[in-house]
Amino acid sequence: MAAPIQKKHMQIIEHVSGYDAAIRLASEPLLNDGYITNDYVEAMIESIKKHGPYIVLAEEFALPHARPSEAVLETGLSLLLVQKGVDLEGRNVKLFIVLAAKDSTSHQDYLKGLAEFLMEPANLKAVLACEDVDCIKTILDERWSPSS
Amino acid sequence: MKILAVCGFGVGSSMILKMTIQKAIRELGVDAQVVHTDISDAASHKPDVIFTSKEFVNDLERRTNANLYAIKTYSNLEEVKSQLQRAVEDLKQETE
Repeated sequence: MAAPIQKKHMQIIEHVSGYDAAIRLASEPLLNDGYITNDYVEAMIESIKKHGPYIVLAEEFALPHARPSEAVLETGLSLLLVQKGVDLEGRNVKLFIVLAAKDSTSHQDYLKGLAEFLMEPANLKAVLACEDVDCIKTILDERWSPSS
Repeated sequence: MKILAVCGFGVGSSMILKMTIQKAIRELGVDAQVVHTDISDAASHKPDVIFTSKEFVNDLERRTNANLYAIKTYSNLEEVKSQLQRAVEDLKQETE
C-alpha cells in the first residue's frame, strides 16, 4: 500500500533556523496546492508555544497539526526531513509530517498507518538516513502499513 | 478499565496515543477500552484512567478524578506498556 503522502509534498533540507521555520517550509506544498491557508500554519506554531512539544510523537519525529477549521480545505499530509535536526521546545526533531485535517474523522486511516509505522523504530531510522526524496518515498510506500 | 487518551485538539496526537495504548492492551492482555479526545472534553467521558502529556496533567487534575499518567513519547510502545502496568496496579490497590 502506498503511503498517503505524495512525492511532490516531500522535501529534504540540511538545516533550518528553528522549528517555526521548519513548519512553515514543511507546509508550503499544502499551501501551494490549496489544502490549507496560512492561518493553519500559524495555528500549528501557536499550538506548540501554548501546549509544548507533545507533538514529538517518536524520537526525532514531530506531527505538527492544529484543530480542524475553515483554514483546512482538504485533508492531507506533507513531509520535511531536516538532516541536521532542529530544536523543538527542548527536543531534537529531524522529520516533520504536517497533518492537515478538515474534520475529526477524514484522516483516521492515515494516522492508523502512521502509528503502526512509528511503533517500529527501525522504520523511522531508515527514513532519517535518507539523502533524497525518492529514498523517503520508497521506504514509506514499503513500510506504511494498511490500517488493521 | 476505561482509558482516555488526551491531547490539545483530539484529532492527531491523541489518536496516535490511542493506537499505541491499544497495542499495549493487546500485548499485555489487559481488560480495557480506550477512546481519545481533546482536553476540554476529557471530563465528560468519566474515564478511570487518563494518558496524556505532562503539559496537560495539572489542568486535567482539576477537571477529573481519573488517575493520570504522563507519556513523553506517544508512539513509544515500551513507555506506554510500563505506564499501563502502573495504571492496572494502581486501580487494583484502590479497589482492595
